[in-house]
Amino acid sequence: MKHLSFFLAATLFAGADDTFVLRGVTVHPVTGPDVENASLLVVDGKIAEIGDAKLKTPKTTRTIDAKGLHAYPGMIDSATQVGMSEISSVRETSDVSELGDFKPQLRAAIAVNPASEHIPVIRANGITAAMAVPDGGIIAGQASLMHLDGWTWEEMAIRIDAAMHLRFPTISTGGFLSRTSFPEARRNYETRLKNLSEYFEQARRYQKAKAAAGPGFKPDLALEAMLPVLAKKTPIMITATRERAIKDAVTWSEKEGVRIVLAEVRRPGESLALLKQKNIPVILGPTQELPLEEDDPYDEAFTVPVEVHKAGVKFAFGSFGNQFSRNLPYQAATAAAFGLPYEEALKSVTLYPAQIWGVDDRMGSIEKGKWADIIVTDGDPLEVKTNVKRMFIQGKEVDLESKHTRLYKKYLARP
Amino acid sequence: MLRHLCVLVCLAALTLIPGKAETPAVIAIRNARIVTVSGPVIAQGTVVVRNGLIEAVGETITPPADAWIIDGAGLTVYPGLIDSLSTLGLSDAAPMGAPSPSGRRGGGPPSSSSSSGPATPPARGPEDRPLNTSYLLAADQLAANDRRIEAARNAGFTSAVTFPNRNIFSGQGAVINLAGERPGNMVVHSPAGMFLTLRTAGFTAGYPGSLLGVIAYIRQIYLDAALYKEAKQIYAAHPVGNRRPDYDKHLEGVLAAPRILLPASSPKDIERMLRFGQELKQETILYGLHEGYRATPLLKQYNGKALVDLRWPEKSRDADPEQTDSLRTLELRDKAPSTAAELHKAGVPFAFYAGALAQPTDVSRAVKKAIDAGLAPGDAIRALTLSPAEIFGVADRLGSIEKGKIANLIVTTGDLFQDRTRIKYVLVDGVKYEPAPPQPAPPSEATR
Repeated sequence: MKHLSFFLAATLFAGADDTFVLRGVTVHPVTGPDVENASLLVVDGKIAEIGDAKLKTPKTTRTIDAKGLHAYPGMIDSATQVGMSEISSVRETSDVSELGDFKPQLRAAIAVNPASEHIPVIRANGITAAMAVPDGGIIAGQASLMHLDGWTWEEMAIRIDAAMHLRFPTISTGGFLSRTSFPEARRNYETRLKNLSEYFEQARRYQKAKAAAGPGFKPDLALEAMLPVLAKKTPIMITATRERAIKDAVTWSEKEGVRIVLAEVRRPGESLALLKQKNIPVILGPTQELPLEEDDPYDEAFTVPVEVHKAGVKFAFGSFGNQFSRNLPYQAATAAAFGLPYEEALKSVTLYPAQIWGVDDRMGSIEKGKWADIIVTDGDPLEVKTNVKRMFIQGKEVDLESKHTRLYKKYLARP
Repeated sequence: MLRHLCVLVCLAALTLIPGKAETPAVIAIRNARIVTVSGPVIAQGTVVVRNGLIEAVGETITPPADAWIIDGAGLTVYPGLIDSLSTLGLSDAAPMGAPSPSGRRGGGPPSSSSSSGPATPPARGPEDRPLNTSYLLAADQLAANDRRIEAARNAGFTSAVTFPNRNIFSGQGAVINLAGERPGNMVVHSPAGMFLTLRTAGFTAGYPGSLLGVIAYIRQIYLDAALYKEAKQIYAAHPVGNRRPDYDKHLEGVLAAPRILLPASSPKDIERMLRFGQELKQETILYGLHEGYRATPLLKQYNGKALVDLRWPEKSRDADPEQTDSLRTLELRDKAPSTAAELHKAGVPFAFYAGALAQPTDVSRAVKKAIDAGLAPGDAIRALTLSPAEIFGVADRLGSIEKGKIANLIVTTGDLFQDRTRIKYVLVDGVKYEPAPPQPAPPSEATR
């Protein structure tokens, strides 16, 4: 009876395109065993039921025949510049970074252009959400988790303050045009680190002043934005590639008492045990890369994920790019080919990012009650040959046309 | 009492003015071991120096009656060392470093693109003659008061081949003696060759902005120079009825150069530069050569001559301690000092240059490294004396202890390049200098 009223309510929106049933599909929930020949019911953009072929649905519910096809949760890219930059070398189209060292008040979501040509291209490979990460300075701003569909950034935004992006100061002797000596590089590093700690101290004082609510309290947009960080509601996404920087970042976060996620981890070395111990998740950079050093083995980059997995550290993949975000599934696939268990590879682009960014109650797997961010494919989405046949974001079917497909058609038709 | 005072004053004068020259016209060093370089070592003999020249050398020479005698018992006399590539005396020039691998960063010393003068608009092409000071003569630019001269002399260098090094066509070098009151006293031979670097004009400074542009530019200059020379000859023969060719100082310098110096370190650079020199029909000397150990057959095949930088590649002292060096870098550091031995084995003429090494002890340590890597000590000395003299065409005057040659000598307490050997005297043009002892000089407020 209860079910019926539920369906009735749904039928009020008959014709609403976020209610449908996929029939004959093999569901890969990621969190549990696969269900073959299933009926996947989506109501009001949420997964309502995963049943067998006999699942009954109201007549008005749109039925989509998906016989022989596979349903996976939409993939999540944990670090991109999606929508913030169109053509990186054309300044007017790039809104990735702002001047200054500390800009926690900047929210990446606002800079995301919903009409970006990159978005449909990225979607075409099955990616339904991405972290838009601002850059520049030390605290670059808030990284926002965005759905890859919507008329406005508000429609796209899943969590505007998914993380605070902090580019951790490093001791860097090799610049683009100049080289500095190690002692000088270390002095620079120490200065920057000191500035960072002072900024946190400032934020803490602001926090106290605000709590006291004394006369003359002056609201400050930047420090205000630091409050969720201090309250551990928002994690800090710290870019730290190598062992020394990673260890420094962990030590620092312990001292400041903040929650962190490490990004662009590439050469963690001995620091993995520490990350496991402190339960710090990491975002791995692109796998399909050349080795970092001249004498490294050819598969140096390919095997980073399996090492991280073996150490028991939670991880997700990020493309750290824009147009190449579309290769996210193949980054995971390469890791799988070089030792990462397949299930882990799949979770690292679906469930794990959802957990890391604190949205696993809404997305990251095909489970009842979660959003219907679903891709329907003709095979394994980590496989290059696989085509994404349909995509739903919050139950709404999304067009899979992109600039690439338009160009493909155009030149295919050339006499 | 008065005598005591006098002695004190004399002592004070001696200690306060280290390296101050005495100028006896005739000096005889007797009972010394003499390493002539050009001939066999004389176990015990005498060298007589008169009027700046070597008057006699041998076992049985009797010192002339008017000579100041230096008792050489236990001492060794060598010809003065020659730094075959330097900027000594040229205060404007950068230290002479090794060319960077692949010549990417210009293969020469770093420099401010315009050293002086009003800013010129960026060059559009070879016709603007960018980075061309081929007309500069080191001999004209010398400053006798360059403090590095004394430091080099104290290290045993009595001569140097010194070059302007700021530009692609930097200018012409000169063989100089490292002592003299006036620049004119110092010059032994000029011009000694054209110093070329492969540096680019810089980020926004116009043509040439890349290595390939630099090579094309050099090629064009030589084509222009050939045409210029021909036009001048024709005009000289038939001035009537012919339009005069424009005077071009940038090409004059190129035409006047007896030889060119090109940077090369890796085998690829070496082959390129050898072929380039051949194509330009210039006598070519390569400098740098840290990877020369891998390219000796090439150098032999092209009859190349080499100036080897004694500043061997080393890990920078202020490098990041966690930085891992590539195998290639480690190999270069390990093998570079063997270049000299390999060149010697292959019969390639080569000389050492002190490069950017500042301290005398650094030079001897660097040579020691080459010796440890297989070079015979005698050949190491030759590479700092007679070989550079031969390469620059002044072997008739410098580089060995022979009658009639310029009296550039060093007198040491033992074998050169040994840790405990000290240089006791340095003679330049027959003038005796005593290098200051290594400890720091006393505060010198009373030098006047």
